[in-house]
Order: sequence, then C-alpha cells, then structure tokens
Amino acid sequence: MSRFTSTNRKGKLKTEFPDVSDSTCEAHLASRDELSAYIDKELPTWKRHLIRRHLKTCMICANEVQRLQQTDDFLCRSGEIEVSNDFLSSVMARVSDATKYQRQYDSLWSHVTRFIGASLGWTRHGLMFADKLRYNIRTRSPVYIFVLTFAVFTMVGATLYQSSSSRFGQSVHVLKKSQELNGEKLISFEVIQHEPPKRLLTTYLQQK
Amino acid sequence: MFVSDEDLMVKCSTGDMSAFELLVRRYQNPLINYIHRSIDDYQRAEDLSQETFLRVFKSANRYEPTASFKSWLYTIATNLCRNEIRNRTRRNTYFFEDLVEEGEDVYHANIMQDTRYLPDSLLEKKEQRQIIRKALAQLPENQRVALTLVTYQDLRYEEVAKILGCSVGAVKALIHRARQKMRKLLIKAGIAE
Repeated sequence: MSRFTSTNRKGKLKTEFPDVSDSTCEAHLASRDELSAYIDKELPTWKRHLIRRHLKTCMICANEVQRLQQTDDFLCRSGEIEVSNDFLSSVMARVSDATKYQRQYDSLWSHVTRFIGASLGWTRHGLMFADKLRYNIRTRSPVYIFVLTFAVFTMVGATLYQSSSSRFGQSVHVLKKSQELNGEKLISFEVIQHEPPKRLLTTYLQQK
Repeated sequence: MFVSDEDLMVKCSTGDMSAFELLVRRYQNPLINYIHRSIDDYQRAEDLSQETFLRVFKSANRYEPTASFKSWLYTIATNLCRNEIRNRTRRNTYFFEDLVEEGEDVYHANIMQDTRYLPDSLLEKKEQRQIIRKALAQLPENQRVALTLVTYQDLRYEEVAKILGCSVGAVKALIHRARQKMRKLLIKAGIAE
C-alpha cells in the first residue's frame, strides 16, 4: 500500500496517461482517486478506455481495482434494515398534525397580517423597480439627463416666479372688469392688500 | 403509470396528501437505512427520517422542480444527521449498537442473542454485518456520508458534491480514501484479506 502512495505522489507530477506501454503505474495515473471513480463508472468514456487499457498491462493497478471492488462487495453485504410497519402511518399522522396546526393558525388576524405583509412586499418591489428604472435611465439614456435638467430648471423658475409675485407681500389678485374698446380689450387687475391703502398694480392691453 | 418524484412534489405543494404518501413509500426504506448508517442508532434514525419527511412536506412550496428531489431529500437528511452527531459530541454521549438486529421482534431477537439456536452460517453472516457496520461507523463523517450515498443510495458524484457542498474532485478523493480505510479496518477485523 505504501508503494501505491509513493508512486501516486510521484505520478501527480507527470502527465496523465502518457504512454500505456510503460510498465510502471506511476506514469499512468495522475491520481489514485480515478480508480474509485472508474469502479463507480463516474469517468468520461475516453478516460475509462485509457484506464481499461492500462489495467491490462499493469498488475499493480489491476490488483488495486480488484481490492476496491472487494471492499465494495463487503459493504453491500452489510444488509438493509427493515422499516417498521407503523412508520408510514406515524409520518402521515405527524404531517396531518402539522397541517391542522397550520389551519388553526390561519385565522382572520393571520389573513390581515399576511395582507399587510404582501402589501409591504409589493411596496418594496415597487420601490426596487423604481430604483432600478431610475438607474437604467440614468446610466443608459441621455434623455434622462435632459428630463432631469428640465425638471431642475422648471423648479428653479417656479421658485423665482413665486418670489417675484410675492414681492408685494400677501395680496389677493381680483379681476375687476373687462371692456371692449375699438377692438381692444382692456383688462385691469386690482391688488387688494390686507393692509390699507389699496393700490392698482397693473393694467395692460391685450391684442385680440 | 410511473410518476416522477418531481411531479409528485409539485402535487404535494398543492396539498395532495396521496402524492406525499407515495413519496414516503418510495423513500422510507433507503432513507432510514442511510440515516442509520450515518448515526448508528435505529430509534434516532426513525425519528430523523420522520423529521426529514415532515420538513419535505412543510417546504414543498419552496421546492423547485429543476432540482433533483433525491438530492434535496438527502441534503435535508444529511444536515439532520450532522446536527445529531454534533449534539451527541456536545452531550458527550455515545450510542452503542444493540446486539439485536433492528426490525426484528423481541422473541426473534432473544433467540438471535442465544447463539446455540443459530446455524453457523447465519451467525457468521450476522457477525460480519455487525463488523462492517462498526467499520463504517469508524470512518470520518464526510467519508462515511460520501461512501454511503454512492454505494447504497446510488447517487452520482455530482449529486454527492452538491449535498456535501464540495467539488466533484473532492468527492472522488473522499470516496477513494473511505474505501481504502474500510479495507484496512476489514483486514484488521479479519474479514478481508
């Protein structure tokens, strides 16, 4: 056995199955594990073929395979245990107990909690989807940059407009009157401020 | 008509108890034998087999038909066996195999214990079985699991690798080492030459 081990270690340094006619087995098998795999039919066809050819010429490896097979035969002799007759019934009883408990647990409250859980799950999925979409748009499309810039400018513009319109403090714009004057429309606005005195803010003509 | 395990599991997930019963019938024998070989205690093997089937039923919804049912079942069983062995080591308790063959009735067991009533060949066979089982129990955990799955449960190396969470090459090495060690133990026990 020690000879096998030493040859195996040496063999690992050499190439796999270089020459089948070589009588020393260290040249043929990169690893002894292959012999076990050969017995279990776990090797690819080409490797099985090579080992089969090798076993015809190398007595050491052939003996090793024989010993491994013998060990396997002994293992198969260990026999099987017969399962007791009530095993199936006890398994089914345990399973039905488990399902019964599950049904009891399925009360109204559990339905509510499940619904909340599902809703939270959907929200989470929605957020994740939005996040993913935003990431995709940002990384893959220049349109996103345009839309974002536009949105930023709109927001800035709206803020500025609001600040300019509220220049006169808190005021109420009231449409006072609308008159037709020789094809021209006179629209006048009056700004009624909370604090006196009242003051006319703007009057302008609009072309029809 | 033969229905595959995967199809039965799909039916199980819809609450079909007859499909589950069929699965238990199919796998009860190999599963108990596998667990018994792993932990070497019949009563616990039966308990753990029941627990395995219960877990299979409970997690039937999560089962994906793309995975092999057999590997999934043995993965659950292997994890339970590992937990059992770990708990035993913590508790520092050891379970010794009874002289009685499992599955035999008490009357039969008493006769079996009294070797006067046994023919020589039967006695020899019984002793041989016990020696082999003891030798198997002496193997390191991973080697024993790998060898048992390949030799007795006819699983492929790939499936064993998935169950043990290692590479196929590692499984090859484990099995080869396990066989070599088994051989040494059997020679020591005087069975093999």
